[in-house]
Amino acid sequence: MTVAAGIGYALLTLGPSLSLFASVISKKPFLILTVLSSTLLWLISLIVLAGVWRGFLPLKSTSWWPYGLLIFSSVAFQEGLRVLFWKVYKRLEDILDAFADKVSKPHLFLTDKMQIALAGGLGHGVAHAVFFCLSLLTPAFGPATFFVDRCSRIPFFLVSAIISLAFVTIHTFSMVIAFNGYAEGNKVDQLFVPVVHLVAGMATLVNFASGGCMISIPLLYLIAILTLIHCGKMVWRRLIENRGEIGSSQ
Amino acid sequence: MAQNQRPRSILESLGEEIIRIITPVSICMFMVVILVSVLNSNSSSSSSASVNSIATIAYTETSSDSSWDKFLGALLNSLVFVAVVTVVTFILVLLFYLRCTKFLKLYMGFSAFVVLGFMGGEIALFLIEDFSIPIDCITFMVVLFNFAVVGVLAVFMSKMAILVTQGYLVIIGMLVAYWFTLLPEWTTWVLLVALALYDLAAVLLPVGPLRLLVELAISRDEDIPALVYEARPVTYNDTGSMGGVAQRRVWRGRREENLNDDSNSNANGVFVDNVDSESDSLSNASAVLDSNSDSNTLDNATLVRAEEARVPERDAELSAPLIDHRMNIQPQQQEDAVSSESLMLEGIGLGSSGAIKLGLGDFIFYSVLVGRAAMYDFMTVYACYLAIIAGLGVTLMLLALYQKALPALPVSIALGVLFYLLTRFLLEVFVVECSLNLLMF
Repeated sequence: MTVAAGIGYALLTLGPSLSLFASVISKKPFLILTVLSSTLLWLISLIVLAGVWRGFLPLKSTSWWPYGLLIFSSVAFQEGLRVLFWKVYKRLEDILDAFADKVSKPHLFLTDKMQIALAGGLGHGVAHAVFFCLSLLTPAFGPATFFVDRCSRIPFFLVSAIISLAFVTIHTFSMVIAFNGYAEGNKVDQLFVPVVHLVAGMATLVNFASGGCMISIPLLYLIAILTLIHCGKMVWRRLIENRGEIGSSQ
Repeated sequence: MAQNQRPRSILESLGEEIIRIITPVSICMFMVVILVSVLNSNSSSSSSASVNSIATIAYTETSSDSSWDKFLGALLNSLVFVAVVTVVTFILVLLFYLRCTKFLKLYMGFSAFVVLGFMGGEIALFLIEDFSIPIDCITFMVVLFNFAVVGVLAVFMSKMAILVTQGYLVIIGMLVAYWFTLLPEWTTWVLLVALALYDLAAVLLPVGPLRLLVELAISRDEDIPALVYEARPVTYNDTGSMGGVAQRRVWRGRREENLNDDSNSNANGVFVDNVDSESDSLSNASAVLDSNSDSNTLDNATLVRAEEARVPERDAELSAPLIDHRMNIQPQQQEDAVSSESLMLEGIGLGSSGAIKLGLGDFIFYSVLVGRAAMYDFMTVYACYLAIIAGLGVTLMLLALYQKALPALPVSIALGVLFYLLTRFLLEVFVVECSLNLLMF
């Protein structure tokens, strides 16, 4: 594809992340470091998964259940890693609070914690977008483009970019929901994130059917919007509660 | 009930020094990747055959040799290179010991000119050829000459705007790194690993040349003449306090027992975040604040000028806090027909104003690694970039922990090479398989 189209696809998948980065994350250096470490963590998770599954690839493309198993195991591993990420973050929060005490500044505010969670999620989303979508774009610059049989109406890169955008949204805001769920001990939130991740992963299995992307892409976007709404409601609720607490404690 | 003046949380400015060193490293790597992908889009073998240098003196790799032969040849090349570098470093230590500082400075200026003028010129010629830019010889020569001269001045005269100096240092790093990527593949990788090991040995072993150099410089309270990138020190104004007091945050250095003359130099910075100048309960930060008292009411831009103006009379002071300038020196070979040397530093240390200093050699070898990864595929570029930044972060943490000269290459190069191999042989197959079937998670 041409360079213009390539840049278009890249912006399609990473555009919202870029604007999120520029508006929220780039102002606080610590959040930039969080994004980088989170991206590294998810890259490591992908490498481990690739290592585990390397012996079995390439899978036979006729039946779909090996792929289902692949997705299930990958999602399970990544969700386990998310819990680990949370535990590391808890310890980091303690260190930061201790440091804040030392320099006589207030402890981390709720908005700070949510921003760190957002940065972590953005790292996850960017890792997904970069490795699943962008890394295939750049070698393909040139005169022609590529179509996949199963989704033959639009170029492969465009399909991949659209799916990646949905996943980026899901990953970014899932982290906020997850961290909040672990912090509050809210079982609904804690279960919401893995279930959503699994459903989204399985939804891409629909792509095996010919013309399946017509169904899977709207489904994925439905899931992404659901995640967004849930995250928005949760954040709003917590902010209102927090303001009430601060108001009552003054 | 709305709080107008909420006290600032620590998240506003935590980690800023690290970002200030990661940004130029990332820019250098990014530019090298762009250069590599633009200039090497045609076959790479034709251009690598034309690079004859110290690094390929022992063995010239051809694509028809077996892997084992290539590996042995690359090993031979790297050993020769590291041996030459060691000898040159020892000569440097000797010259420094004999106080030939003038000669060293002149030599560094000369090598910076060669890098900017000749290497930069050749790369510019490649670009002009590739893109058919219409430019005539005389304009090109004039522009190139001016570019090189301004670069030399920027790097050695501290009166320049700090952005220009930093920009030129990054450009020098980028040019040398691009030339290194023209080496044959096996040689490049083995060379990187060999240099990382050499760096480790040279800085940490008691007999290592870099350690000797640093100790000499410390004992004499002199500045090592070398190319080093210094991140701009962090300073910000707390709008809540009166008069816009500028607060400084510098890294903590443990007070050395043998320091007796640095009462007002910023040798031992303290990692503090002064909320108010009045409530500054940390007395040892007052030394820092005193020496910067005239910058207190200035914002960043004017602080830079104030610092520059103070440089002449603070020359002695600037060199004094070499206690915190823990740097390693590693002269690098230029990939030129004329194998002249340039003195560039490697390693990480703390600057006089508490800013982090990173040797230019580190910039170069990080960028070489990423550039080489770019020659394979962009997935490896992303993976290696993240690995190198992680390594740099680890090194910075170790620096804050150990408070002594640390080599910046080993951790990053180790992680970079590891991630390159893992990505190339494991991740790529997996991700391509999943992506082509439109399976994502």
